Amino acid sequence: MVEGAGRAKAWICGVLLAVCSMQSAFAEASRPDRAGFAASLCGDGAAQSKALDEFVRLSGEAAIDDLAVAGDLLRGMLERRFLCLGDATLLLDKAGASEGRDVASGTVHTAAGGRSPVLGLRQRALVETASGIAALVAGETVELRSKGLAAVERRMAGVPEAVLVRAHKTESDAGLKAAIGVAAQGAALSSTDPARRLAAIGAVADTPSGAAFSRLSALKTDQAYRADAEFRAALDAGVARVERAIWIGNGLAVLYNGLSFASILFMAAAGLAIIFGLMGVINLAQGEFIMVGAYAAYGVQEVFRRFAPGFLDLYLLAAIPVAFLAAALVGIVIEALILRHLYRRPLMSLLATWAVSLFLINLVRVVFGSQNLQFAMPSYVSGGMPLYADFIVTWNRLFAIAFATATLVLTLLILKRTPLGLDIRAVTQNRDMAACLGIRTRRVDRLAFGFGSGLAGLAGVALCPIYSVNPGMGTTFIVDSFMVVVLGGVGTVIGTLVAALGIGGANVLIEPLYGAVAAKVIVLAGIILFLQRRPEGLFAVRRRR
Amino acid sequence: MVDVTRRHFIGTATALAAPAIIRPAWAADTVKLGCLFSSSGTMANIEGRLNHVVRMAADGLNAKGGVNGRRIEVVTSDPASDWPLYAQIGRQMLQQEKVAALFGCWTSVSRKSVLPVVEQNDGLLFYPLHFEGDENSKNIVYVNSPPASSVLPAVDYLMGAEGVGAKRFFMIGSDYVWPRTINKQLKAYWVSKGVAANAWREEYVPLGFSNFQTLVNQIRSFASEPGGQPIVVLTVVGSSIPDFLREFANQGIRATDVPILGLDMVEADLEGLDTAPLVGHLNCWAYLQAAKAEANIRFLGDWAAYVKAKSVPFSADTVIDPMVSAYDSVQLWALAAAKAGSFDVPEVRKAFAGLSFADPSGYTLTMTGENNYVSRGVFIGSVNEKQGFDILWQSPDAPKPVPFSPYG
Repeated sequence: MVEGAGRAKAWICGVLLAVCSMQSAFAEASRPDRAGFAASLCGDGAAQSKALDEFVRLSGEAAIDDLAVAGDLLRGMLERRFLCLGDATLLLDKAGASEGRDVASGTVHTAAGGRSPVLGLRQRALVETASGIAALVAGETVELRSKGLAAVERRMAGVPEAVLVRAHKTESDAGLKAAIGVAAQGAALSSTDPARRLAAIGAVADTPSGAAFSRLSALKTDQAYRADAEFRAALDAGVARVERAIWIGNGLAVLYNGLSFASILFMAAAGLAIIFGLMGVINLAQGEFIMVGAYAAYGVQEVFRRFAPGFLDLYLLAAIPVAFLAAALVGIVIEALILRHLYRRPLMSLLATWAVSLFLINLVRVVFGSQNLQFAMPSYVSGGMPLYADFIVTWNRLFAIAFATATLVLTLLILKRTPLGLDIRAVTQNRDMAACLGIRTRRVDRLAFGFGSGLAGLAGVALCPIYSVNPGMGTTFIVDSFMVVVLGGVGTVIGTLVAALGIGGANVLIEPLYGAVAAKVIVLAGIILFLQRRPEGLFAVRRRR
Repeated sequence: MVDVTRRHFIGTATALAAPAIIRPAWAADTVKLGCLFSSSGTMANIEGRLNHVVRMAADGLNAKGGVNGRRIEVVTSDPASDWPLYAQIGRQMLQQEKVAALFGCWTSVSRKSVLPVVEQNDGLLFYPLHFEGDENSKNIVYVNSPPASSVLPAVDYLMGAEGVGAKRFFMIGSDYVWPRTINKQLKAYWVSKGVAANAWREEYVPLGFSNFQTLVNQIRSFASEPGGQPIVVLTVVGSSIPDFLREFANQGIRATDVPILGLDMVEADLEGLDTAPLVGHLNCWAYLQAAKAEANIRFLGDWAAYVKAKSVPFSADTVIDPMVSAYDSVQLWALAAAKAGSFDVPEVRKAFAGLSFADPSGYTLTMTGENNYVSRGVFIGSVNEKQGFDILWQSPDAPKPVPFSPYG
């Protein structure tokens, strides 16, 4: 306590002295305090918590400079730039640098032998809050301050009211000022002033989420709820509003989850639909073409890393044609070497493609190893954005959905608008007749096989932000994609699309009710029953035999 | 014709079988050890490493003159993450290859499928994973910790003031024996601590499951309910772990909101992930790569050198608990065989009591002598931004293993 009081005094001294603009005296007076704060961050969990709690408690009044310095320190701690070196503490410019500035004296010092403190979960939460407060109040750019506000809002319960009041007063950016105002209003849920409480209920209900629902529902046990009719009405209205928003948000989430799962299924199955539909080849190596596509994307990434590190974020886009061509090439080679000889023997072609699948898996394993590949995920496929209530749009899934849509459009265009597509459709419907009309069916087979494999390669690119990339990744898709193709009806892209949407949606709907294991079983049983009634699938291509 | 064929057949069969029948493995100047670790399927990324570690340990022993004057020969296989295949290959190794001991299995379901095979053939299986306990075979050596000395200390830590004071628990596991047993024991443990039954949720996914969107949505809504600090107890295995972590981070949940205790999560699962948004999640093992010990520095150096020399297709800088445990297994077997002066399973088993040595974790690994369990230290690790784990807590000493849990 004595130590704590001393430190509080030092903070207040800092404020007073800064006002008197006695720069040298200020530096002298606050130095031991800063060093003391830094030193306690090097202590055990209890010492860290104590120092951080106190910092948060006093942060409403502390001097801007002190907050800025502490903010620097705390951010450094989260970014692993803060080192403890005996009694001294160092702040590095970047994690892993060989030297850094001493926190107390500002002199440059070697980092050798320093240890960066490991934060327990409780302490990490405190550091995040404290560093958020410092950024909100003393951050230099609007971006820094709004990041600070986001951090503070995550843990509103632990933030003193004075911090928000102060930040609101000093904020120069109008948008951010308003946001801070709303946050401050929401923080007053348990205020003693009835008017502020009503405003707080409104503010909380304006940003609906599961957490907001819990906060508001908790107020129903408050005595004001029984005593004050106005309060009760406001609270009931607020809770109802939040409830409705959560309900809509959850509905959107189900739609989004279903759509994203369906787009993954569709991409994995699209190539298969063409190959199976055209040639009747049950291609068990389809999953491995997906893997080839993903590995091609990895290759593109490595090329970018080496030759154009500045454009690394774009490698995923550059990988699209490369992955398509790589998988198509592998497909064409396999068709020319193996499948061509087996068209009249479906069982043999099934076994042959299985062998190809094993061969590709083991080839990749020998060349690259079986560990997960390291992808640098660009910002446009990592993280997500809260859209409405508890509904978050995750960028990697959105990428997959967009990708699947583009694949669908491309496939339809090629099949319906190009000479190759016309040939493919003709051969699918009646191979012998097409041959009689002068279509070189063998060439069409080869190109179509290449096209189907290329589509699988594209799926590989879209999947690498979502799943781990390793030699065995393809095997997980093969059962699902056959399910989609058979349900959709052999040889139709639209059928594949509808089947993918159906299976994806059914999985997502059943999962929360009966669990993921039961969802798989129920969907599979449903498909079997459906095929009993309609063996040709949802959309059958009319064939002439 | 028929006679000739039959005679032919019998002759050929005898000729083929003869070497295996006449000659025990150690009749020559080598002794064989068998590995049952998958290098394909959902467990490939993590189990695959263990084959190489067993080889490395054997090479180390061979360089010192082998065991009982015999050179060790390691026989590897690929059970392809297909549980019955572990039993089938294990039987082949014991009956045809005449291996002196088996080292293998990651998942409990694979161990359970090998169990009857080693018991029928009186073989020895060294099992390098921490697991659910509740099993004690004289033919299996459990070289890692049962729940009482791994999971429970970690859960205690999270429930305590030093951790986050966890009050509510979301259990999510792969659907097989290990997660189900662990969760059963945890629930009984929480009941004994006075936690109400509505404070937990339990969900299972098929092995190799990867589409975690809906489950992470459920975790978020579970977390926003009132009732105290929630945590996730994660018992999914294999490729599901990185897929779950990625979705968890993408939906914006941080360790300071809802920490994950990943019971099967190792350094290798973080390879290929951006761990900056995952910092702070926890795991618990008997070894972490960050362990401060002379033996650990030596082990890390040996592994890096081995990877380089044999161009092993795995990372030279990643070492996980089961690798160290597999290494320890070979050392234990060698110590016992040397003490017994024999490779006979009953003799080797008799020699187990009281064996101990300093393993890379910095603790002394000891065979209890009462059963085939070992006592080892406990670490709680916290994910850092460099795809590894920092040590958050470690036990003062190596607790005595409790094979049968009093809970559940």
